[in-house]
Amino acid sequence: MSQLTINNVRIAGMSACVPATVEDNRTLPIYKDESEALKVIASTGIERHHKVDDGVTASDLSVKAVEGLLQQMGWEPQDVDCFAYVCTSRDYIAPQTACIMQDRLKLRSDCCVFDLPFGCSGWVYGMSIVASLMSHGTFKRAILVAAETNTRNRNPRDTAVRPLFGDAATATALELDPELARPMNFMYGVDGAGFDAVWAPYGGMRNPVTYESLEEKEVSPGSFRRGVDMIVNGMDVFGFAIKQPPRSIKELIATFNIDVETVDLLLLHQANKFIDEKIRKAIKIPAEKTPYCLEEYGNVTSASIPLTMVSRCREQLAGDMKHCIACGFGVGLAWASMEFYAGGVTIPEVITY
Amino acid sequence: MEIQEFIENFAAQFDDTDEALFTADTKFKELDEWSSLTALSIIAMVDDECDVIIKGNDILNSDTIQDLFNVVVKKQKK
Repeated sequence: MSQLTINNVRIAGMSACVPATVEDNRTLPIYKDESEALKVIASTGIERHHKVDDGVTASDLSVKAVEGLLQQMGWEPQDVDCFAYVCTSRDYIAPQTACIMQDRLKLRSDCCVFDLPFGCSGWVYGMSIVASLMSHGTFKRAILVAAETNTRNRNPRDTAVRPLFGDAATATALELDPELARPMNFMYGVDGAGFDAVWAPYGGMRNPVTYESLEEKEVSPGSFRRGVDMIVNGMDVFGFAIKQPPRSIKELIATFNIDVETVDLLLLHQANKFIDEKIRKAIKIPAEKTPYCLEEYGNVTSASIPLTMVSRCREQLAGDMKHCIACGFGVGLAWASMEFYAGGVTIPEVITY
Repeated sequence: MEIQEFIENFAAQFDDTDEALFTADTKFKELDEWSSLTALSIIAMVDDECDVIIKGNDILNSDTIQDLFNVVVKKQKK
């Protein structure tokens, strides 16, 4: 089992930025009537999501999230030693978006910056990578962005994905603080054989963009997609999501001797309510300790755990240390679980782009 | 699990379809109420009751409830 413990690093601040435009699932043109829409809402728990306007990228949302966070924390851009950008909706095929962000955010030219192209497991993976680099002792302050514009890389005429996914950017400020920090514990998992449960087949090197891959085709009655659009095979994702995340969290609990009774917050990737409730019940954590933000924001992939913390746990996380378990799972198929403590976290209210 | 119990569990995932319509030979994807959401309920039911995860293709390639039951039995033996 791949497990990891990281000491001396704490979450100092968090922020989130969402686009102003809201798409309500009740009135989506993909349903024949409102009762069909309500049925989907009832089983997914997702009522609406925020959606970027044409021309706005995940990095645009991220700049606002990071600037808002730095301002609230009283950090200067030049205080940041490491900047990680978790995102698959990159600005350009090359270079890495993190390089451009160094300039836009006015980070130091010797700042350690990099992209991490993870999906739904990305915040947990990113936390382990950035906190691990910091634990060597010379990076004192770091920013981890988890952002995605899911409405751009999926087809709006794909009825299977339109009601589920939204756009958001989040920023997490990490600080080397041996006095206040408590250990963070991680477990990882991957199933590469399931890579085509969530994937975009065209636009990479295996299947380069062709004229044909840009043509919209009817993939099931009334549902359209291009070769370059993201495919979400709902049934396979569902089968994966009700099996692996509970198993992963149980492994985390067993490996690190976690007393589940002492857990204050179970922070799940906001896939859909049906899936997440199955996971919560398998771990036997009460509903009041399991916050959701998917009803308002939908599935925002790598941003969904930090967006839940910012939008639903702001006051809780500003207070005493809270004992938290987080689990991200999805595209890859990849998943990761994490135990950590968070308290005294500076969190501005959700920022609107 | 026997086929009869499987059929009962299968039927329980439907709200508006007459229980009498469910037999081993029922072509479940032809039922009016069948939808992608029902498919997810079936996957969850099979996980809960049979401790097996079926894939999207298992459902797509099955015509009758018996076909799907056979897939589940095969997976249980693995």
